[in-house]
Amino acid sequence: MSRKWADRALLALFIGMAVLLYLSTASYPGIARTTSARYVRFLAVFIGALSALQLGYSLLKDRSAGRLSLTDHLPRFLGLLAALAAFAVLFERFGFFLVAGVFIPLVAWLLGYRRKSVILLVTLGVLLFVWLVFVQLLNVNLPGPTF
Amino acid sequence: MLEYLQIVFGFQSLVTIFIGTVAGVAIGGMPGLTATMAVGLLVPFTYTMDPTAGLMLLGGIYCGAMYGGSIPAILLNTPGTPAAVATAIEGYPMSRQGRGGLALKVSVIASFCGGTFSAFVLLLFAPFLARQALAFGPAETFLLALMGLAGIVSIADENTSLIKTLIAGVLGMVIAIIGTDDMSGSLRYTMGYVELVDGINFMPALIGLFSMIQMLELAGQRHHKIDTTALKRRQKSEPLPAGIARPIALGAGTGTVIGILPGEGATIAAFISYNISKRMSKMKELFGNGNPEGIAAAEAGNNGCVGGSLVPTITLGIPGNSVAAALMGAFIIHGMIPGPDLFTDYAAHTYPFILSLFVANAVFLVVGLVFAPYLARIALVPPALMVPVVSAFAVLGSYALNGSVFDVYLMIAFALGGLVLKKLGYSLEALILGLILGPIAEGGFTQGMIIGHGSPLVFFESTIAKVMWGLIALLLLPPLHAYWKHVHKPSRLSAGQ
Repeated sequence: MSRKWADRALLALFIGMAVLLYLSTASYPGIARTTSARYVRFLAVFIGALSALQLGYSLLKDRSAGRLSLTDHLPRFLGLLAALAAFAVLFERFGFFLVAGVFIPLVAWLLGYRRKSVILLVTLGVLLFVWLVFVQLLNVNLPGPTF
Repeated sequence: MLEYLQIVFGFQSLVTIFIGTVAGVAIGGMPGLTATMAVGLLVPFTYTMDPTAGLMLLGGIYCGAMYGGSIPAILLNTPGTPAAVATAIEGYPMSRQGRGGLALKVSVIASFCGGTFSAFVLLLFAPFLARQALAFGPAETFLLALMGLAGIVSIADENTSLIKTLIAGVLGMVIAIIGTDDMSGSLRYTMGYVELVDGINFMPALIGLFSMIQMLELAGQRHHKIDTTALKRRQKSEPLPAGIARPIALGAGTGTVIGILPGEGATIAAFISYNISKRMSKMKELFGNGNPEGIAAAEAGNNGCVGGSLVPTITLGIPGNSVAAALMGAFIIHGMIPGPDLFTDYAAHTYPFILSLFVANAVFLVVGLVFAPYLARIALVPPALMVPVVSAFAVLGSYALNGSVFDVYLMIAFALGGLVLKKLGYSLEALILGLILGPIAEGGFTQGMIIGHGSPLVFFESTIAKVMWGLIALLLLPPLHAYWKHVHKPSRLSAGQ
């Protein structure tokens, strides 16, 4: 997708959101109708008007043809995202240490680092640091098995 | 004041400040890692610490990181933080000429002077400004938030247009309305999620927008080999050049003033200080080829921003920049709401924190003078190792504050959404400022409307309100004028043709 059209789609989304936001204030109860609802309407009008202005400017003046690129290396980018999502899902069930113990070497490998001894040392170092500082010193309650 | 000094110079405090500052220098020295990222990441962990020690740790990181960025900028032409870009322009050519030792010395001394001056301004003016905040009613509080918004306008740069910056700021304010409506007690836009009843948690948003997003970017970047020739070259020892005090003083003053303005960050402070120094220098021709005056002004400027940015943060609750916003989060999670109370009820935490900034500056002065050439090697840590470690801490930090996995999902969502916004030219600093200013603005607005019986005239009545409207206009006019000129430049050219 081109950057220009992605931006226009986002601005259209903001305008739609502004309209819905404005309409939603009709259901505000009691005192909120003359207080919070007015504030929300102010925000809705403000963001809607600014988005419409920017969209108009883009439609009239923007002749750029660049593509929207979130990353230079899609597999690594998506790999990190997937690993992160898996970390978040498994984190509560299996605990920080077990999941981080797999996550750190896996992502380092995924990003192209191949020195196994360094990866192992860094992983163990981070886990030891978290255990000493956060568990022992700061008493942060981490989910999962405790040591 | 003596009792606060005793707290700061206690063994535990000194160790905490030392660890924070050295860690800050190391983090600042790693390209891709910033002070905001480090402070934002560590705020949740200070929750279980003694508040004073936690704040000292974060203050040390802030000071250290602001200086640390200059080391790889000078020796490797790789600025550790965006605020050190101006330093690289002059520092790297000096290193290639074998004068890196002098560049490092000028950098650390200028950073120390800028940081110390701004901490002094913070110590002197913050209590005074906080006392003025006692006279603020809801209308003035709303105007204060508008002042913060006016600051957002000046965040716009060559990558983010003025309108898009404003959209990002208002979007942050829109996100901030999710949760319980204080006026009616009813739920708004929570989509049935119990975790959103208290609103969007500020810390996961901050970690997502300023820590995780950088990791996503680093993971997807093609890495270029860093030129280490200057690092291997023997650097000669030279005394400080005559007349260096002038750009240092100029940078310290400029950086502090810019830091005080809401929304202005260390990068802008460094560049403005650098440009003023260039304009006023007697050796203009040396700029760009290795002029120590440029390094002095830029470094004094970005470190001057530290104390300056904390002035509006701890007195009025309007963060001077994104690092200050993260630090404000640390105050809030310890139950210390920025404002006059910080200098009365919580003085035993606030004053030692401010005084600890002086110690942090002294720590990085010593560390910089002795270890700077060795610290540059930190910049050579492979991103492939840095990314998983920081990502793991981002997950841990998002979870730790409330013990909620939902906050981890929120952090990932903010990182991904923030990346899209950033690539499309929207300012993430504006978004986070909007998120912070939103509840302040809404509280002031709704209460003001009740006091004014529904009339908006209440926002114009008091003398303070009138002065604040004047200040808002002063903040808005220069960037709007610059934007107007920028937009109309091509049409004038084409008219001329």
